[in-house]
Parts: sequence; C-alpha cells; structure tokens
Amino acid sequence: MTALPATTEKKLGLVIDLDTCVGCQACATSCKEWNAGGYSAPLTDQQPYGADPHGAWLNRVHSYDVGEGAASRTVHFPRSCLHCEEPACVTVCPTGASYKRAEDGIVLVDPDTCIGCKLCSWACPYGAREYDYGHGVMKKCTLCVDRIYNAHLPAEDRIPACARACPTGARHFGDLGDPESVVSQLVAERGGFDLLPEFGYKSVNKYLPPRPRCDALAADAPSASPPRQARDDAGSGAASSSTERLFAWVDRVLSR
Amino acid sequence: MAPGKPLPGPHLGFPTGPDDLLVDAKGTPQRIDKAFSWDAPFSAHGMMHMVIANAARGDPYAIDVLFLYMANMGWNSAMDLPATLKHLTDRDPTTGEYEIKRIIYSDAYFSEMVPYADLILPDTTYLERWDCISLLDRPISEPDGPADAIRQPVVKPDRDERPFQDVLIDLGARLKLPGMVKEDGTPKFPGGYPDYIVNHERRPGIGPLAGHRGKNGGDFGRGEPNPRQLEQYIAGGCFHMHHLPDHMGYFRHANRDYIAWALDKGFRLTPTPVIFQLYSEPMQKMRLAARGHAAVVPPEAHRARIETYFDPLPFWYPPFEGAAPEATEFPMHAITQRPMAMYHSWGSQNAWLRQIHGANRLFMNRSRAVALGIADDDWVWITSRIGRVKAQVKLIEGVNADTVWTWNAIGKRSGTWGLAPDAPEATRGFLLNHLIAELLPEQPGGYRFSNSDPVTGQAAWYDLTVRIEKAAAHEARETSPRFEPLVAPPGLRTTPSPRLRHAEGVLSARREGRGEGQLQASAQASAPSP
Repeated sequence: MTALPATTEKKLGLVIDLDTCVGCQACATSCKEWNAGGYSAPLTDQQPYGADPHGAWLNRVHSYDVGEGAASRTVHFPRSCLHCEEPACVTVCPTGASYKRAEDGIVLVDPDTCIGCKLCSWACPYGAREYDYGHGVMKKCTLCVDRIYNAHLPAEDRIPACARACPTGARHFGDLGDPESVVSQLVAERGGFDLLPEFGYKSVNKYLPPRPRCDALAADAPSASPPRQARDDAGSGAASSSTERLFAWVDRVLSR
Repeated sequence: MAPGKPLPGPHLGFPTGPDDLLVDAKGTPQRIDKAFSWDAPFSAHGMMHMVIANAARGDPYAIDVLFLYMANMGWNSAMDLPATLKHLTDRDPTTGEYEIKRIIYSDAYFSEMVPYADLILPDTTYLERWDCISLLDRPISEPDGPADAIRQPVVKPDRDERPFQDVLIDLGARLKLPGMVKEDGTPKFPGGYPDYIVNHERRPGIGPLAGHRGKNGGDFGRGEPNPRQLEQYIAGGCFHMHHLPDHMGYFRHANRDYIAWALDKGFRLTPTPVIFQLYSEPMQKMRLAARGHAAVVPPEAHRARIETYFDPLPFWYPPFEGAAPEATEFPMHAITQRPMAMYHSWGSQNAWLRQIHGANRLFMNRSRAVALGIADDDWVWITSRIGRVKAQVKLIEGVNADTVWTWNAIGKRSGTWGLAPDAPEATRGFLLNHLIAELLPEQPGGYRFSNSDPVTGQAAWYDLTVRIEKAAAHEARETSPRFEPLVAPPGLRTTPSPRLRHAEGVLSARREGRGEGQLQASAQASAPSP
C-alpha cells in the first residue's frame, strides 16, 4: 500500500559482531537515551516503577545458549531494524507513514501520519517495530538519521548512538552498498550473514558469526601442547641444562 | 585505641607482621569489626560485614552510635539477613534500649537500610556533587601512566540533601578531629569537599589530585596546592593523565628511572626495586609468631589457625563450609554475579534498567536440573545450613553442574526504592544473602570466627553450599521469605508515576504542526548533547 523506491543511492546499515558482543546492554540503553529526546521522542515507559514495567525500545539485546554441555557457548544477540531493501513493513502500511528513503535506504516512520494500526509490526519478521503505548504510534530504529548528518556533533559522534556506545567494537556503521566500505569488507572477511533470508526482504544489516572456539574443546585442537624446552643462557635449546637442573632442585626443595 | 580519642593512625593499611596488628596485650581485637586482629591479620580492607553483628553482641565492645554510609547493610550487603535484621532491632532485656543504641545512616535512595536508622542524612547523587577518583584510592590509571579524575556537580540539588563528603568534613570540624580543624580550632576546609580536594596534603606536596599542582598548575604528583586546580581539571575533561616516557615504562618493579621518579612523586617510599615474593615473608612471620618466635604472639585459641593458614607458599584447602559434617546435605555451590548494568543495588531501580533486569532467576545447569526433576521456569527451594529461599529457575548450559548462580542485588524488599509494593523485584526477585552464615560453627572452647578468609578477612560469600529441590505446585508464583513491607516516612513521595515521557516538549511541538521534515531540520540545526 506504500511504495518503495526503485533503488537507493546508498544502503546504510549496521554490521553486528556476534563474536565480540558481551551482552552489556550499552547499545540498548544508549539508543533509548538518544531517542527519548531525538527523532522518535518520546519513547514512553508504562508503569516505570510498577509491577509490570514495559516501554518502547528500538534496540534490544537477547542472550542464548548455543550447543550443549561443555561445548556450548553463550551468544548475545542485539536486535534492531535491519533496514531491508524490500521491507514488508513499508508495503503493508495503509497511510504511507512507513517509508524507505531513496538517498540512503533508511526505513523510517512518520509519527504524524502513523495511525498505530500495527500492521507493520505483524509484517516484520524481526520484531523491529514496537508500538509506543504512550504515544499511539509505531517506533523503530532510525539508524540515528538525526546524528549521522548532524554537523553540530563532533565527527566521531556522527554514527548511530549504539555503535558509539559499544565498548567491545561489536557494532559497525556504514554503506553496505559500497563493496569497498569498511563494513562491506568486514562482511566479506568474516562471512557476515542475513537474518531469515528466506523471507526475501533483503536485510541490509549483517551479522558476523561467532568465531569457532580454539581451546581444548575444539574438535581438532591438540589435547596438550608439547612440553616447553627449557633453554640455558645461550639459548641453545639443549635439554637438562644447568638452569633446568637448578629449577628442578628448587622445585623439589620447596615441595618438601 | 582509646574511647573518645581519634584513631592513632591510618584506619586501613598493609600489615606485614604481628607488630602491625590492632590488638591489646591479651590479643583482643581493638576495632569493632575485628580487622587487623588474629581473627584476620591481613584484613587490609576492613571487615565491614561484621560490624552490625559485633555491635549487637558487644563483641569486642559495645558502641553508642553506628554510623553507616551507603552500604545497604540491611539487605544485599548483609550475611544472614534474618539475623542481621534482628541485630538492628533487638533490645537489651534489662534496659529496654536497643542493643545498637543509635544508628545514623546516609544514602541517596530509600534503601532497605533506611528505616532502621534513627537519623537519616540524605545524600546527593553523583550528578549533584564533587567526587575525586584519586591516586590515593582507586584511580583510573592506565598501563601508560597514572591518571586521576573528578566529578563536578552538573545538576543543582532540588531536595533536602547535602553531599556526604561535605557533611563528613563539617562533622569532623565540629568534633574538632585532628586534620579537620586548624590550630585555632576553626574548620580547616570551610569550603567543604572541593576545598579538601585542592588543599589537603597527605604528605608535603601530595594531595588527592596529582595533576595541575603547583602555583601555576604545571606540576605533576608533587607540588603546592593550586587554587585553580579543579577549574583546570574541568577544562581538560575532568581528568588528568600523565604519560610516562618510554624509558620508564617497562619492568617498573626494577626500572631505576621509574623508581627514582616514583620516589620523587610519592608513589614509592624507598629507592628499592619491588620484589615479587613467591615465598611470602609476611606470611612466614605470622606462622613463626604462632610458633612463639615473635614479640607479639597469638593467644592460645588462635595458634593452630595462624600456623595452618599462614603458609608462605600457596596451598589449597577446602572451604570451611564444605568441610563441616553436614556437607553432603548441601552438594552444590551457590554464587552471585553483578549485572553489568548496575552496581549492587544503586541504580537498579532505574526505569529502563529494571526492564532489562526486573526479577532475577536462579541459573542452573540444564542436565543437573533434569536429573533432579526440575524443568525450565520451575520454582525451587534453595536450602543452606541456616535457611531456605524460594526462587524461579532458568536452565542454561553455561554453568557447571555443581553450581547455581544469580544476579546480585536485583531482589528487593517490598516498599523500598520508590517501587510499587508488588514490583517483581519484591515478589519474584530473591537474595542468596539470607542463606549465608555470618559466623562459622563453634570451635572447641566456644569461639565463633567470622565466615571470612582467615588471612584477608574477606567475606566468604562464595563458600555457600546448598541443595536444590523443586517446590510444590501451590508454592510456585512468589519468592520466600518476604519480609514485612517497609513504609516510607511522611513527606517522602510514594506514588510512582504511571508513565514516563521524556522530552515531552518535543511531542507538544509536533502536535503544534511541525512535521517530520521540520523535526529533522530542527534536529540538524540543534546541538543536542549525546
């Protein structure tokens, strides 16, 4: 019901590293803080100090166990709008409030024309759309459109608040439509992947997979490293050097 | 130490032998927490967790006033909660007075400790006062060099409160404590904490802040107080970093240039390298004292313990709790972890943070839970040798089968922290503290040591052992124990707002007809603070 641009000049988005995300929630809270006063303002909270506190968030971080037993690992999964190339949340919108920008591909909601019907939140398979109960309209990640072009901010702050806040460097911002960009190169190096590609919405954000583990539990890791050769002062690597014998003696004495 | 007199020396420090202990001729502890005594000789950080229990029992002595700052000792910083609450409210049967006669407490929030105080000194939050992150305490130094920082007030206090450090300095002057008053008895730091930060000298030329010292603020580490020091810190972003030159940067324990420089700046006291002791001399000195080879020796009742645990080489021994005869009844370990988003209880009532951590679960290994007949989201009883607590489990892979854990300080007492009485923190959140004993079982002779490390006096939170059993169906839903809800004093706002709408003005402007395009333009034109 709302049209998509035929092409976009850029494909701005995020690359999120599931290997280095530690689930600290800094991205979620910095997003909430920025947008409490920014483009999506206000992001309301219901019963903030009550029995069932719930509010509108544009970015949430979930934590999952992957695998079983000692070989399992915890994966922290930040989830926000993926600014898809062909998003169903736009085409389903009855009023035109939900739209995709031709200049950079950012998907936004115009709060003035949104009627809060929630069709977009049903259409989005990623749960990226939240209804703001205090405002009556739909909210979603804006890719910090009000930061990235804001000449009044220092240059290093002209990226999304979440990327700025991440303490482990797990969030990267850039043009996924430019194969030479840092983010595109990261995706190529690390095998960045789409979420739920079978829906065909062509998500722009990419996730970098957790790296394979390299400790003793890894499938082809050696079970024990070879014993380290002690070296004498000349560094010749000869076994049973005088230094080695000295340390062996000290070890015996101290163990008495 | 003498009643009515200030401490003769620093209250914290690094004891290295029996001569450094704070004990009398009979070996009795001199401090209310029994730190720096034979109970825990190297307890350099004190033993705060024992103060309430010792004060209530009058062991080593009774006190008139207990003055606590910020530590939520009536809840998540206490061991054996039910016993602790009893200590705070028990009365002497002969006099009718409280065992702990008077309690003064300072906090910025209505915590679980507040209602137990006779006098409350409302503190500011860190946004409303000066703070000093000092090299004399816990600085922000980097490997490249020493660094320190300040906080400056950015919000004007709008309630009946005072920054706690200002209050302490004021009280110190009224009590005429040395260091707090001049020779003529007038206050030494009439300007309060910022005055102290700038003008206090711990040793000549060395004060709380190392940067911008000296008349013009050009000296680092040692220099006369600079009246513009705080101004210069603020201009630099509220911190100061001193980058060490490369030739001083490495192997600093034995780097001659570094040690000479550090001596000049007061970081080192002697021009000698730092020797890392793999065989610890101070530990051996204490062991020799237990064997009688020292001027100050432990009383008979402490000798075996000092002899055993003050081994100059590290050795492993089972935790005291696990060695007790009933150990097999409690086959699992129970520990806590602080969430990344908050520090103990402070700030955990924040409207956003409690949507992330609203009620804590007991995290349990999935395969062990299955073996015990426990499914995900079940309610269980966690039982220790002193009590039991009811909690809801979450089964995970990422913990070993013999250990359960939960988040620290999420569970709250009903009525506190400005939260609704039926907040999930109170109805479903829980503490492990109720299960942890403050005293070890009786020794032969009747003495009970603190449930703490015998060398450092650190509280043995992680020694807790428990068993886990599924709760009955009718017991699922709510945590236990739940203590009587606390009531805020009159005048303290108790009705939490039903909704939060930050930046209300932005929404009004939008309603007045400024659309998305205008909003974006105005956002671009404005200079919001990130």
